[in-house]
Amino acid sequence: MSERSRTSIGRIWRRGLIVWALLLAFLALSLFAAYAAPASWAAPINFGIAATQAVLVALLFMRLDRADTLVRLAAACGLFWLAILFALTLTDTLSRLANS
Amino acid sequence: MSGASSDASTLANPRELDLGLPVSYLAEGRSVASWLFTTDHKRIAILYALSITFFFFIGGAAATLVRLELFTPEGNIVGADTYNKLFSLHGIVMVWFFLIPSIPTTMGNFLLPLMIGARDLAFPKLNLISWYLNMAGGLLTLAAVLAGGIDTGWTFYVPYSTVFSNTFVTLAVLGVFVSGFSTIATGVNFIATVHYLRAPGMTWFRLPLFVWAMYTTSLIFVLATPVLALTLVLVIAERTFNLPIFDPARGGDPILFQHLFWFYSHPAVYIMILPAMGVISEVITCYARRRIFGYSFMVYALVAIAVIGFFTWGHHMFTSGMSPFAALVFSFLSFIVAVPSAIKVFNWTATLYRGQIGFESPMLYALGFLGLFTMGGLTGLFLASVPIDVHVQDTYFVVAHFHYIMVGASVSAYFAGLHFWWPKVTGRMYPESWARFAALLMFFGFNLTFFPQFIAGYLGMPRRYYTYPPEFQVWNVLSSSGAAVLAAAYLMPLGYLTWSLFFGGRALNDPWNATGLEWRTTSPPPRQNFFGNPQVLAPPYDYHPEATPPGDEPRIAEKGALT
Amino acid sequence: MSAGGDLIEKTAERHRREPWDELGLAGERAFAYQRAGATFGIWIFIASEVLFFGALFLLYTAMRLEHAADFAIAARETNIVYGTLNTALLLTTGLCAAIASQASEQKGLQRLTLWCLGATVLLGLAFMAVKGVEYSEDIEKHLLPGAGFALKEPATQLFFGFYWLATSIHAIHLSIGIALVVRLIWKEWREPGFLFESPQVEVVMLYWGFVDMIWIVLYPMLYLDGRAG
Repeated sequence: MSERSRTSIGRIWRRGLIVWALLLAFLALSLFAAYAAPASWAAPINFGIAATQAVLVALLFMRLDRADTLVRLAAACGLFWLAILFALTLTDTLSRLANS
Repeated sequence: MSGASSDASTLANPRELDLGLPVSYLAEGRSVASWLFTTDHKRIAILYALSITFFFFIGGAAATLVRLELFTPEGNIVGADTYNKLFSLHGIVMVWFFLIPSIPTTMGNFLLPLMIGARDLAFPKLNLISWYLNMAGGLLTLAAVLAGGIDTGWTFYVPYSTVFSNTFVTLAVLGVFVSGFSTIATGVNFIATVHYLRAPGMTWFRLPLFVWAMYTTSLIFVLATPVLALTLVLVIAERTFNLPIFDPARGGDPILFQHLFWFYSHPAVYIMILPAMGVISEVITCYARRRIFGYSFMVYALVAIAVIGFFTWGHHMFTSGMSPFAALVFSFLSFIVAVPSAIKVFNWTATLYRGQIGFESPMLYALGFLGLFTMGGLTGLFLASVPIDVHVQDTYFVVAHFHYIMVGASVSAYFAGLHFWWPKVTGRMYPESWARFAALLMFFGFNLTFFPQFIAGYLGMPRRYYTYPPEFQVWNVLSSSGAAVLAAAYLMPLGYLTWSLFFGGRALNDPWNATGLEWRTTSPPPRQNFFGNPQVLAPPYDYHPEATPPGDEPRIAEKGALT
Repeated sequence: MSAGGDLIEKTAERHRREPWDELGLAGERAFAYQRAGATFGIWIFIASEVLFFGALFLLYTAMRLEHAADFAIAARETNIVYGTLNTALLLTTGLCAAIASQASEQKGLQRLTLWCLGATVLLGLAFMAVKGVEYSEDIEKHLLPGAGFALKEPATQLFFGFYWLATSIHAIHLSIGIALVVRLIWKEWREPGFLFESPQVEVVMLYWGFVDMIWIVLYPMLYLDGRAG
């Protein structure tokens, strides 16, 4: 019994620490890119890194990778609806900017 | 309760003959605390019904003063500032504290578990918290009104609301913000309930359309309301904490506020109509004695309205300075969203074909809904067309359009549902002739109030003005007279329904001979909803067996031809 | 820790509550169902919060598109040391929260669960402390929008309006999270064995993970712009 829980603890810690190390590595990378990357690349790189970190947290810390389909659908809907808000609002913002 | 009916909470008086039946949910616990700390979805529904009725009459009082003022072209009853506060109060209270909660929190709360065969909602304590959040929000908004009011209109457009208005904007906005969390919590509860607590045999495509309507409404609750919450936070941040966000003088973009506001507020109007559509599907099938025509398309239409409704908000902003390209996109999408609504109207109409139509009061309200919703919906198409909208935006044409939907359709459906399920909720029957008269009076009064407004708006009368040029007076007099009739029609149910609580006849478990699990338990139901665990064996609306034409007999023989 | 808890029923049944207990399912299945329902419920709420913060991020996006140069100038004035430190702190709390959530489901990992919950609270409080120091520095540097604002370009005030707003809203959410975790620890202290298999741990830890995700996206918005060159 304790044998099983010991390997469970081990497995839980290992998974967690790997993800944590990855997240911190990405943090360092984004810090570096902010200073070193050319100005027009810095924002896409850094937001891309942030998105990757968010995906890692959602899938591995918040356990979406092992969740029910229904739960994943709920998460996906949040993102999809946010995409609607962004896309249609920005058609206005960007077209007004382009025309000014 | 009067002494004579103090034992009337069960159908059998246990002191005479103890059948071992549980008491009804009304009788289980009589103290105020048992009501204020209940987690019973049925009691919470009653709590909500009391609060929304209270807010309905407050919003109605504001409307009365507005229509009194508009009787004459000059301003003689209230001044300009007070008038602005009156229509703002009317809009804020009616939208957020009456219409949006109305059907979902009263009938949804009461009936959703019953219709799916569950004992309660998925998260009963969260349900109670929802009510308290709603009350807190309502009280905050009332405090704003009592302190001196708000004059920005229910739309809180910036920069007026954040920079220039001298009224209690923050307090009112805070009230709406708090009530938003009430609806998000209700949405979470309903969605989880429909997914997890259906009785055995209750598959998704056997659900009553009212349940589908509650489900799709809850999707909108959960996905649209947070954006409103944030938008209101931005208003408070700019107004109270002086942070620059929308003020153009400091570089902000006021149109962005409108995008954020209408991203919620357009789906909000679908929050106000989808539950009404659910009610109508239940009422029309019962009183036409027919199953619904095209059940699956009715379901797809509900989902389509809920989803596509999120893509159309820009049609409120055609004259705001938004780019013409974006206007084109939103106009096109607004035409598309009308299609599923039209499908539903066709299907309700087709449901009546070969039916044995009874004209009881719920059916009168439902038939009224069909006509008024069609009118309101068609005029919405005019507004979706940019060239027309540019001329009638901010006129009474728009006011008439949305009142046809929100009042003509939604409120009619609310009253239809109120009468249809009154026996189930209270265990009492209301006086039918009074109810029919009120329904007819409401239809007449409503049209007299709002049809002239289409004409006035088309001829150019602007909205939110307390004075107007004399050429519009005839339409305003018609409209205000109609409002008086409408007010009487709203007060009548308050009267006879209250009367029925004390003196009405006892209701049967199933007074309308209807299908649906809610009618398979007592009127009123016991705390645990059902005796035993229900199982579902047949599709919904099983009013006429396949391939058998309905006969010619009245539905309730003693009542004769009109049933 | 659990020495005095023998009188309490240790099975998962003790977490069951109405109406999940009357579904007519066998005991364990009913509880698994209730857990699934609780997880689903919190994810729906998280989806709604995605839209709440998403609207805030849309505000940033629109403003930055309209005033790109001024935003870069303004973003240089944020303290990148405090910002990066805070991000690292929150990522570590994310680790602790994930461990606590998984440990609470295993028998015999009670102590680990408690330690991780405690670490989450402490690191969360550390974040708030660093934020407080950062705020006072920002005020000293006149980075509060209004008269006497440090930078002369007008849209830099828009950036800092967003900065104060977004960090305050995040801090409020973080405080709620800290309070929820403290409550879990308190419940375990009052009723040893409470955390084991309780759906409440998963619910709170998912909320915490979400608050973490928000900061992950806020960090590049507030701290990493305008640093190049």
